[in-house]
Amino acid sequence: MSRVIGIDLGTTNSCVAVVENGQVTVVPNSGGYKTTPSMFAITQDGKRLVGHLAKRQAITNAKGTVTAAKRLIGRRFDSDEVQKSISLYPYEIVRGPNDDARVVVGGKTFTTPELSATVLREMRRVAEEYLGEPVKEAVITVPAYFNDAQRQCTKDAGKIAGLEVLRIVNEPTAAAIAYGMSRPGKDEKIAIYDLGGGTFDISILELSDGVIEVLATAGDTFLGGEDFDRRIVEHMLAWFQEKEGIDLRGDAMAMQRLKDAAEKAKCDLSSRETAEVNLPFIASDDNGPRHLSFQMTRELLERLVHDIVNGTLKTVEQCMLDANIQAKEIDQVILVGGQTRTPLVQQAVADFFGKRPHKGVNPDEVVAVGAALQGESLVSEDQNLLLLDVTPLSLGIATFGGHFAKLIERNTTVPARKGHIFTTTRDNQTAVKIRVLQGESDTAVENDLLGEFVLNGIRQARKGEPEVEVTFDIDANGIVSVSARGLATGKEQSITVNATGTLSDDEIQRIIRDQELFEVALKE
Amino acid sequence: MRVGDTLGNAHAQVLALAPGVVATALSLDPAAGYVLSRIDGRTTWGTLRQIGALPPHEVDQLVESWLKDGVLVASGASAIKTTRDARGSDSAAQQPPKKPPAAHAKPATPAPPPPSAAKPKALSLPEVDASLDLDLDLQREILAFAAGLGRRYHELLGVAADADARTVKKAYFALSKRLHPDRYFRRNTGPFGALIETCFKRLLEAYELLSDPTTRKEVQEAEAAAPPPPLTTIDAEGAASARARGLDARRRLRERVSAMSSRARAEGERRRKAKTFFEHGMTAFAGSRWLEAAGAVRLAIAFDPENSAYREEFPNVQRKAHEERAKQLVKQAEGALEMRDYALALDTFEEALHYRPGDADLAFRTARLAVQASGELKRAKEFAAQAVEVAPDNAEYRKMLASVYAAAGLEANAKREFSAALRIDPSDKEAKAGLRSLS
Repeated sequence: MSRVIGIDLGTTNSCVAVVENGQVTVVPNSGGYKTTPSMFAITQDGKRLVGHLAKRQAITNAKGTVTAAKRLIGRRFDSDEVQKSISLYPYEIVRGPNDDARVVVGGKTFTTPELSATVLREMRRVAEEYLGEPVKEAVITVPAYFNDAQRQCTKDAGKIAGLEVLRIVNEPTAAAIAYGMSRPGKDEKIAIYDLGGGTFDISILELSDGVIEVLATAGDTFLGGEDFDRRIVEHMLAWFQEKEGIDLRGDAMAMQRLKDAAEKAKCDLSSRETAEVNLPFIASDDNGPRHLSFQMTRELLERLVHDIVNGTLKTVEQCMLDANIQAKEIDQVILVGGQTRTPLVQQAVADFFGKRPHKGVNPDEVVAVGAALQGESLVSEDQNLLLLDVTPLSLGIATFGGHFAKLIERNTTVPARKGHIFTTTRDNQTAVKIRVLQGESDTAVENDLLGEFVLNGIRQARKGEPEVEVTFDIDANGIVSVSARGLATGKEQSITVNATGTLSDDEIQRIIRDQELFEVALKE
Repeated sequence: MRVGDTLGNAHAQVLALAPGVVATALSLDPAAGYVLSRIDGRTTWGTLRQIGALPPHEVDQLVESWLKDGVLVASGASAIKTTRDARGSDSAAQQPPKKPPAAHAKPATPAPPPPSAAKPKALSLPEVDASLDLDLDLQREILAFAAGLGRRYHELLGVAADADARTVKKAYFALSKRLHPDRYFRRNTGPFGALIETCFKRLLEAYELLSDPTTRKEVQEAEAAAPPPPLTTIDAEGAASARARGLDARRRLRERVSAMSSRARAEGERRRKAKTFFEHGMTAFAGSRWLEAAGAVRLAIAFDPENSAYREEFPNVQRKAHEERAKQLVKQAEGALEMRDYALALDTFEEALHYRPGDADLAFRTARLAVQASGELKRAKEFAAQAVEVAPDNAEYRKMLASVYAAAGLEANAKREFSAALRIDPSDKEAKAGLRSLS
């Protein structure tokens, strides 16, 4: 039987881990790095590049390089997130036939699962080279706040990359698994503060004798290290414009250079007080070439981003409320994600919880490690780990007047079953439409529609009299089935909610066939 | 007084919960709930007066109103009739004095579906099967658990009825290791796969209900009122003779038929009663007697918990009743303030806030009172945070929250709120001074 790998599919970087004889190894790529940039590019002459190769040419090929595709996955073209991305990234984002977001590079249009698949395929290749055997199965992590569509698209991406995705696990939960395995027999409540490149998640979990229970989880799918970079870039842009009178905003190449420099300066400032930014020949005008030379200090960085950091603490507070837990009850705080290397972040978290964060885990690798462990625990015979995972978002149905009746609240352990009785709103109404929604708003239309069906043959009666029992069943894989039953007639209708990813099965099969044509190009 | 005269005899009566009444839907305060929980079909009214949760005359009031509303039945009928006559029809739906538990930050929602309403589904249990990828002992263990799914929740978890939260959690974790579907991922579990999932869902339900003090109390009351259905025993060995099984089956069938017909009668009775209460409630509502209306609708739901029309109406009625109650409480609190009884004023304001959670100014005043009167920072923080949450753009509220944080030594939070106040009003001197004093 082949091995299950764990993949942390990040916004900016990805990481893969495998379990061998009970030991977890984070697998380095051919360049020796344990993380691989989540980037995909098509060069001028049509070559496809992934990872470090893509990053290396990103400056000169800004329009042909796709970064942060995770921000687009499973989202509608009209969503705020996609619109924001359009203003942020130099590559072209267009509307797809299902109103999804697609990306045009090298004259070809890609769906978002295809883009993520290029990175997953690269991670699979890295693992296969290390193990010397084919890899067919994986556990992939996503931010806790990903909705069903985003999770489904991530699964589709796995399928396109030739992987069967055994489970989609939340990133902070994976981190807790990795932490929990190193502390057998302990009973602890832990907080996972995960500030990555593109997303922020906070989770409160309880570990007890090999069982991991998620108490609550909250987050922001659009907040992360890239926001730090952007603040630095904005600051340098304004500074340069004032000094030289040149606005670099419209210049894709200059912007990419500034972004790379900002990221590097930010990382340097985690261990030093100052960092130099030198970008020669960034622009030119009638008076000749201009260079950008800027001294960045830690103090300036902290001034630029302190409100972002404080914003995360608000989410933390919300999560603590959800878990009904006080800061002092938390035994360990674990930092995940590269952005938690920033001293300001560490300080803010320490202040909030009143204790220093745990030092024992590598913030870049811990999520992949946890994913690999979860995969191993599912398929192996002797299991010493059990994850009691929860639903990330509430599930329910639309009711009269545009309201949303939640049947399964977010943070409910799965598998679970919950039912409720509903009734008709008009006299002699013989059919009801059950619209299954996911989200947190009390207003139906502000939530995501997962599916709908009609229950017919309700006994004719005055409004409010017939009783229809709606039951939600959610299994351990997170698959939701909804049934409605007329209590008088016994008539029943049900659906299994197929998360509406943005691709149909046919499309996925077509993409898999197409990609096989490029197999050679990918393996260069 | 006629009431007093008849009550002398009435106290010898044995009280029981009327069949079909779901006690959890009544929404009582803890003292009344305790009184109700003592009523078990054996205790007399007289004993009830002496259990000490409430003064005897208040117990009398509760019992009388419950008898009148048909929540309780007494073993003799004469006193019920008399007491019913003795009370004016106006108070028909008067609720026992209700004090909401302070821990509830959000307005009370309709009671959760009572646990006793969970119909024990007829599970068809599979046979032990050696060809499956589950060892036989485990199969028997799962079958035994599945057969007992109708047990009381604490029995399901294998803990004592009064086990503490920690014990409940431990038991849940231990059973999860046996019953979570992930344990058997990709194993050939045959018909046991679905059974394991059903068992886990029920286990989860038991754990969720027993680990929250509120729902746990409701479970206990409901279970005290309605004994669990008899256990289906599993005939794992197949030892019982066919003849014995046949006799047994016939006996069970007879029992079931007679139970069903009497249940159907009681059900009709119950629904009729509920309808009467509901109609009374709607009349009271139309006459702007909000508290009375809420009480009546609540009773209607107690008698007919499955009628969604009542449940849907309830929030409207309750909202009005809450508004009314909040108005009364604010008035009382202001009275207490004038009398300089700050502790009482604070408690009363807090109660009012419970009914009017969206009133930022009320939250703010309560917070200020908490700081000034008692220095209770934790409570003050809650109220101030509530004010800020409702009206995030009010600098006054932010400053209040900030100074509470500062007083509690939570400097980072204090700074955050002062800065927020400054963003709202950049010229605010107090906020500036507050920030300076922190840095």
